[in-house]
Amino acid sequence: MIAIESVAHRFGTLLALDGVDLHIAEGEFFSLLGPSGCGKTTLLNIIAGFLAPSAGRVVLGGRDITSLPPHQRDIGMVFQNYALFPHLNVFDNVAYGLRVRKTKGAEVRQRVAEMLELVQLAELAQRMPHQLSGGQQQRVAIARALAIRPQVLLLDEPLSNLDAKLRKQMQTELRRLLGNVGVTTVMVTHDQEEALGLSDRIGILGAGRLQQVGTPLELYRRPRNRFVGEFVGHGNLIDSRAGEAGVFLANRHFAAPGVPLQLASAYTGTADALFLLRPERIRLSPLTAVATPFAAASNSVTGSVRDASYIGAGLHLTMVLAGGGELLVEAPEASFVTVPQAGTALHLAWDAEDLIRLPVVSGEERS
Amino acid sequence: MSRVSSPGASLFSWFLLAPGMLFLAAFLVVPAILLVVLSLHDVDGMLMVLPGYSIAQYLAVFTSSVYAHALGTTLWVAALTATLCVLLAYPAAWLLVNTRSRSWRTVLYVILISPLLTSVVIRTFAWIVLLAQNGLINDVLRHLGLIDAPLALLWNMKAVVVAYVQVMLPFAVLPLATSLGEIPAALPRASQSLGADARHTFLHVVLPLSIPGMMTGAIIVFALAAGSYVTPLLIGGRLQPLLPIAIYQQALQIANLPLAAALSLSLLAVTATIAGLMTYVQKRWERRVYGH
Amino acid sequence: MATDRDLVPASERLWRWFCMVAGGLVYLFLLLPVLVIFLSAFSPTAYPQFPPKMLSLRWFQAFFESRDWLKALQVSAWLLLIVTPLTALLGTTAAYALARLTFRGRAVVQALLLSPLIIPQVVLGIALLYVLTGVGLAGSLTGLAIGHILVALPYAVRTVSVSLASIDRKLETASMSLGASPAYTFTHVTLPLIKPGIVAGAVFAAVTSFGEVSVSLFLTAPGTVTMPVRIFTYIDQTFDPVVNAVSAIFIVLAVVALVLIERTIGLTKAM
Repeated sequence: MIAIESVAHRFGTLLALDGVDLHIAEGEFFSLLGPSGCGKTTLLNIIAGFLAPSAGRVVLGGRDITSLPPHQRDIGMVFQNYALFPHLNVFDNVAYGLRVRKTKGAEVRQRVAEMLELVQLAELAQRMPHQLSGGQQQRVAIARALAIRPQVLLLDEPLSNLDAKLRKQMQTELRRLLGNVGVTTVMVTHDQEEALGLSDRIGILGAGRLQQVGTPLELYRRPRNRFVGEFVGHGNLIDSRAGEAGVFLANRHFAAPGVPLQLASAYTGTADALFLLRPERIRLSPLTAVATPFAAASNSVTGSVRDASYIGAGLHLTMVLAGGGELLVEAPEASFVTVPQAGTALHLAWDAEDLIRLPVVSGEERS
Repeated sequence: MSRVSSPGASLFSWFLLAPGMLFLAAFLVVPAILLVVLSLHDVDGMLMVLPGYSIAQYLAVFTSSVYAHALGTTLWVAALTATLCVLLAYPAAWLLVNTRSRSWRTVLYVILISPLLTSVVIRTFAWIVLLAQNGLINDVLRHLGLIDAPLALLWNMKAVVVAYVQVMLPFAVLPLATSLGEIPAALPRASQSLGADARHTFLHVVLPLSIPGMMTGAIIVFALAAGSYVTPLLIGGRLQPLLPIAIYQQALQIANLPLAAALSLSLLAVTATIAGLMTYVQKRWERRVYGH
Repeated sequence: MATDRDLVPASERLWRWFCMVAGGLVYLFLLLPVLVIFLSAFSPTAYPQFPPKMLSLRWFQAFFESRDWLKALQVSAWLLLIVTPLTALLGTTAAYALARLTFRGRAVVQALLLSPLIIPQVVLGIALLYVLTGVGLAGSLTGLAIGHILVALPYAVRTVSVSLASIDRKLETASMSLGASPAYTFTHVTLPLIKPGIVAGAVFAAVTSFGEVSVSLFLTAPGTVTMPVRIFTYIDQTFDPVVNAVSAIFIVLAVVALVLIERTIGLTKAM
């Protein structure tokens, strides 16, 4: 549906986008996710037509729209601050795009009513924007963009101005709404939870490049590089050193030879490697409960508690290993009786499949 | 606004307010009241003020065709000036708001504001130099061979309006520029994303949202133009049917103070009413759109 | 957020260019009188020549040699020296009191302080003429000073109010909580902080007084003719090219004043 071909953009000497290639299927909900300054808003503005890319093409529904101005692109856009026209009431805001297209009065009324019904704001049609709450303005903005039946809906950090609870509500709303309508959607956000929860596929942008594109599950479980691994979800980065007896856990904070790692069979190779270990994949148990002696067991290590935060749904721990290295652990509520105190020694273990191998970028510091 | 906490501080503030208040009371409020009183007296043949109240002056103002005509012309000229100023203010304000270079913007500000800091005689005088029979415009036109005899550009109402517009234009540009600058950048973009081209966006989004600034400018220009006498006197001549000129003549040349007073207060009343109406409309629009 | 190259169709680009030109023309229109005056002020002939063939300072020289003009300059200068500090004083105290007090008629008092801006000057002139005649001050320097202060006061109140709004009130409350009296706080804490506003107000007062003519015409007498009034009578009755030179001086002073105001509280806030 949307094809972004080798799009690059420069602001003066700053390279904001560096050769982005992307295909978004029809009806797909696609998110552009990344930290601030990664170029995601620039890319959205290029798709919308507010920016002409320094290089590359944008193709929408088979039509090259790269040099078309925004008002000829058949897009609908929802802005970060909603950008409702303050001098028009809700009805006229939603009808705006239709009236630009010289739609007949009766059809305008019908379409607006339909849209307001969809966002559940039918009874507020005569209100002025300043009389609406943030969430209501958000919904009007969506209705306004959808009223013109655009080929693609663009969302620019749509939920960032709402408070946490409202944001969760609106996420569910959005999913329901857009699922109903079925329009191709591209959303820009820096909130990974939002992206993971709403999207069919996500594109992670970092330093102007697409680091990885995939479904939320793929991105979380099989990040392709360190950037993606660290950006999506929490993670522990584990260096490893290849030795004669296999691969060992190494860390720039470790002094002596480390813990042996048993890797999943998929990983071969004996070179030094970098692994990602998700905190929720580490199992904790008291020292007394372990049968096998430590030295021999692989994928396990002893650590003492540096910090433990109980957050209701579970426990977030920072464990200090012998040698000074740290591992973040997330333990579910049901797995412990009392919150361990600082200094408590615990046994940490994980499965071989939980070690996600990441490419080591040459020049990255190794101890 | 929070209240001053201690009574000592409050007392001190009242003490500070006193000189300004006394000054205004003595030289604004009292004169205004006295002016009203003066206007309610009649004069005899020697222009001596007669004792006893009378509305003879006001009758003279509103029943005589001369003064009614003058009032009508004054209001018409003021309205015309305000309209022209608003029309010209749009491209000027647009340029001011859309100039990206800081130094160019300063240049534009200097051009806008420095005339306001000179004297109105000077701004008027420049027009005389331009429009006089052997003034600049006639000079240039003759040099270019476009005319043989010099054109009589002064001493008519058109010249007065042109001079008015030039003198009062900054008062229309500044508030309009403020209003235009306050429109969030996302709004024109939203309009474009919905399929509207630049023309449609201007007419349906930018223009309506610039109404507060436009109205402010129009009200200021209207009030200024309605009360102006120096410029029309110098450019249009004594015979122009304008109320402020009549006031000047009655007060300083004919010395019929009660009549001058009545004329002044009538002018003030009418101007204030119209300006008040315009302000009311503006405030209602603002309330509807912004809630305050 | 910078837009490097906006996607603008050709028709819109043309329209934008047209608006820019229109805007530029309006500014040229505004600039026209200034250009004319400078052309005339430096022109060797009584009437300006276009294009100018020679530059001459004879009209400036004539100004400094004319007794009438120098007398008018003296009157204007005196008024300036009297009006500026008094207006700054009244404006500062009134603005401060207005910002710190709350009472029922506050909005009315504020409107009153700013009203000379909106009341037609012809009305102000005649009202003052009547009152001053009654107390025998008509035509005197004092009477003129009163008129000038009245007209300039709103500007000073406005600029000082802008300055006051930008300072932190907690500084004053802190000072008073340390035992300082309100008067001491005002002179040692508030005043230094609102200096930009006071200076800007003083500049406005000076410029307004120097150029005031609409009210002054009602209040002058042959012995107290100010510069603008002199210009008025000369234009009205004779033709004296020295007026061009005088006008040029006025314009230069205006630009200087502008720079001063911008340096203190900034132009956009002052207007």
